[in-house]
Amino acid sequence: MLDFMEHVQNAFYEASHWNVDNSYGALNATARALLDFQTPRGLRLQISSLAAPNFATSYTIGSVGVVDGFVSYLYSSLPLTRSFKSSNLDLHNVIRGYRHLQELRRPDEPWWWEIWHGGRRIDSRNTLLYGRIFLPQSTLEALYLRRLSPTRQLKISAVSDSTLNNGGTLLAVLQSDYGKYSTEYMYSTDSALMGVRGLYNFGPDPRAEPPTAQDVAERAHGRFSAGAELYYGILNKSGGISTGLRFTTLPNHAGFPYTMTLTLNPLMGNLSSTYSVKAGPNLALCSRFDFNFYSYESELQLGCELWRRRRNTDVEWAVKKLRPGWERPTTTRDEDVSGILKARVGQNWRIGVLWEGRIKELLFTLGASLDLKKREQIFRAVGIELQYSS
Amino acid sequence: MAFNFNWSPLIADTSRAREMLTTALNKSPKPPIIVDDIIVTELNLGSTPPELEILEIGDLAEDRFRGIFKMTYSGDAFLTLKTKVQANPLNTYLSRKPSFASPEPLAAAAGLTIPLQITLSDICLSGFVILVFSKQKGLTLVFRNDPLESLKVSSTFDSIPFVRDYLQKEIEGQLRVLFMEDLPAIIHRLSLRLWSPEYQELEEEEERLNSFQDTTAPIDPLATNPPDAVDDFGNPIETTAGSALTLDTASEIHASFSRKNILRLAALSESQRTLSLFTPGIRDAVFRAWAGHADQPNSGVATPVLTQSSLSRIQSTVSSHKSNPSSLASGSTGNDSHSSRPTLVSSYSSTGLTLGANRLRTHPQRKRKKRVINLRKDRDGAESSGASTETSTPAPSANVSETSSLMHEVIQEEDFATTPKNEPQRAQWLDKRASTRTLREATDSSTNGKSAEKTRPEALLPPAPLPSDIPRAQTQSKQEQETDWTEKRTSSSSSTRPAPLSHTRLQRATTPLLRSLSFDRVSAASSSVHPHQAYPSRHRAMSPPYAESLASSSGGILEQAWMLKMAQEIARKVSEEKSRADAAASGAGARESILHHPQPGRGAKAAAAMWAVEGAAEMDAPPAYQA
Repeated sequence: MLDFMEHVQNAFYEASHWNVDNSYGALNATARALLDFQTPRGLRLQISSLAAPNFATSYTIGSVGVVDGFVSYLYSSLPLTRSFKSSNLDLHNVIRGYRHLQELRRPDEPWWWEIWHGGRRIDSRNTLLYGRIFLPQSTLEALYLRRLSPTRQLKISAVSDSTLNNGGTLLAVLQSDYGKYSTEYMYSTDSALMGVRGLYNFGPDPRAEPPTAQDVAERAHGRFSAGAELYYGILNKSGGISTGLRFTTLPNHAGFPYTMTLTLNPLMGNLSSTYSVKAGPNLALCSRFDFNFYSYESELQLGCELWRRRRNTDVEWAVKKLRPGWERPTTTRDEDVSGILKARVGQNWRIGVLWEGRIKELLFTLGASLDLKKREQIFRAVGIELQYSS
Repeated sequence: MAFNFNWSPLIADTSRAREMLTTALNKSPKPPIIVDDIIVTELNLGSTPPELEILEIGDLAEDRFRGIFKMTYSGDAFLTLKTKVQANPLNTYLSRKPSFASPEPLAAAAGLTIPLQITLSDICLSGFVILVFSKQKGLTLVFRNDPLESLKVSSTFDSIPFVRDYLQKEIEGQLRVLFMEDLPAIIHRLSLRLWSPEYQELEEEEERLNSFQDTTAPIDPLATNPPDAVDDFGNPIETTAGSALTLDTASEIHASFSRKNILRLAALSESQRTLSLFTPGIRDAVFRAWAGHADQPNSGVATPVLTQSSLSRIQSTVSSHKSNPSSLASGSTGNDSHSSRPTLVSSYSSTGLTLGANRLRTHPQRKRKKRVINLRKDRDGAESSGASTETSTPAPSANVSETSSLMHEVIQEEDFATTPKNEPQRAQWLDKRASTRTLREATDSSTNGKSAEKTRPEALLPPAPLPSDIPRAQTQSKQEQETDWTEKRTSSSSSTRPAPLSHTRLQRATTPLLRSLSFDRVSAASSSVHPHQAYPSRHRAMSPPYAESLASSSGGILEQAWMLKMAQEIARKVSEEKSRADAAASGAGARESILHHPQPGRGAKAAAAMWAVEGAAEMDAPPAYQA
């Protein structure tokens, strides 16, 4: 389950029309959400609030043997209208699962953002500021996010920690998203790492002239994307490279949605393929196969996401009798969700289980990671997280 | 002055050193480039020993040494390590960074693990070594400076100059840490394992948890008096006091019981107090139940009930040995307590046994058996208490109990009414008793013997009033612990005696016995051919009252120890006196005199001589005697 602050940041992206999925870094987001989810450790309680549409606070206290916690604040120049109350937020916004990609949308025209008043431009760039301090470690995290233009965003994240070299590290990323393709340039102060990422979407260009009616009828059912990344550390003279392909179905697709990715790291000989399926409204399955053609090591992982819903038997018969187009009263979609189960298993019998959901006004995450190979200590980590936000 | 360093045995077996190196290398958090355990596959110290130059010797004794050496080494030792390394620099780089400011590459950081074998050879060391050795604290070896001069690292990646240089640099750094920090710790632990058995025990504790095997050499607590013997209050026993106890050296030995054995004995004792069927394993112990078979022929005349009860008891020989003197002692002081339990009269039966065994402890087993035969020849077939003294089974002492029970029943009834007065004090005593209870029970296994004996009357007389029995026992045991408590007690019932209560009490104990002896125990006394052997029979004569107290007191170590001393003192005095008397008479004449009349009279005389303070009431003949 997403942290409250991550949720707020996502809301900021959405409000500022930034497509997070159109990035090479998000190429296999579905597989990572289904296979690499974090299981909580120990007990963690979070109380957060969007006190004003522009300001959010969050306090977390946790205990894994020792009691620790963090305090975070967020400021957004853009008023956030999404509901963040834990009692009625949309669970799909906070549960990372199968990412059903939408049609690419055309980037905003720059002049859309212009606000004129009295003959002068008074509009400013949307900005997000975020800070988090961990106690008692005294680690400080800071994030500066600025929409430079409708197609460009600057993201600077920094960590201050006395245990790090030079007392901290800073990463600056300049992201550009033109719809058809996206690029990212990044620089990290740590060992002067520089990186370039790019993603190209095959198919029609969203920036082209508005499609005709015929084009709308013949919309693509899927999208093919290719990307690559390149890193080079100037100080340690080492680098990394990878390329990736993805095919994903779009909402237009008649059958069940699925996503396939293939990534290759030619330097290290690592080949990874994933296949994710949204088998139904409540079920997503995912598999990943890793192979290294230098060391011949391989790994297979399977994962699933299951939304469990309460059966409303009283009106079940009535719903069945309704005609398909009938507008159902839109309360909250997740009213009947009793919980979401996520599970993954690897070939070496490492199992991770996550049970997330909402009880009354609390969002909970129950998780455990198990290692069946180690008979004497099967449970590697067990944890529970409770979130309340208003 | 010369030192002889033997290098060759160090070369012989390096498996343990390899293990310790492996654990030492894996203990500290490894750099992220190493993704697997570091395993030391080969370790050879080479044939060339290091050169040591003595610079200074600060302290030198048989069990300790402190000195500073200058060490130079350029030998043929080598070390081979095996591990797996992460070949992707981006992976290792990112694993150390906080994820918040990480570029989060999609696949560029994918790992590639490569097995790596590193051989370290041509090690050149030169440095100052401070060596401190003490037998208790082990060996401490510290390098004063960084000893590593040069080192050759050969690995799987020798063909790649960049990797080779990197490895060379990294390993040199790691080795410096190893020499300065880890090696002293390893050597210290090794030396502790070698010299300090306590540490060894600590190390192997887990193994021993499964199998109850003691690695320490078994110590027979009865073999010798401990040199640092302490009494029950923790004060060291003076040699003079020790000599007073020389009659039976084993009597004080409970102080030398180890805590472990104390616990086991406590468990054994506890298990016999309850309905628990659990019997803890005690090493080097012979249970009476096992010995019972061998003894049965000797005690063939015993009444069936008694035999059965004796067989049902499980008791180690150690404990039986120890129990005997203490039971004797407690018995000798027990006159004041017997009054409360009229039903326990039959417990007299055990005393015959305990006395005999006490006496016999110093004799080898074979001799004991021979004496059994002798005794039985002398006595009636039915009078088997003598036999019981020889065999360590309590079984065959039925006659004693039968004869003496009558009179004591009367005595008990006399005092019976007064006993409730003791009740208030009991509460106070209970506290202290609880604190000493475990120790007491465990240290002196006589408790086992006592509890065993306590069960006997129940075997004979089923409706024994146990509930009243045990509290009563507690009061009594407490009473003997401290004299001021005794003062309190004197206000109540039977204890109108003055402070040196031991004397009076003993007196009281002896007098009725001697009297009772006169009619039915004389025959038993006749068994003692040698004058020295007369006193066991005398003890036996004392038996009825104190056996009762035995049964009554559930056993306090303090009480017992104190009573032991007293009993031994008495015994010694009696024997001295007796030997004096015997010296006057000729051997045969003496025997006759002991046999028939003089014993009670002499005993009474002795008692009168020793303890003139005896009260008139106590001089009254018990009803049994009058009867």
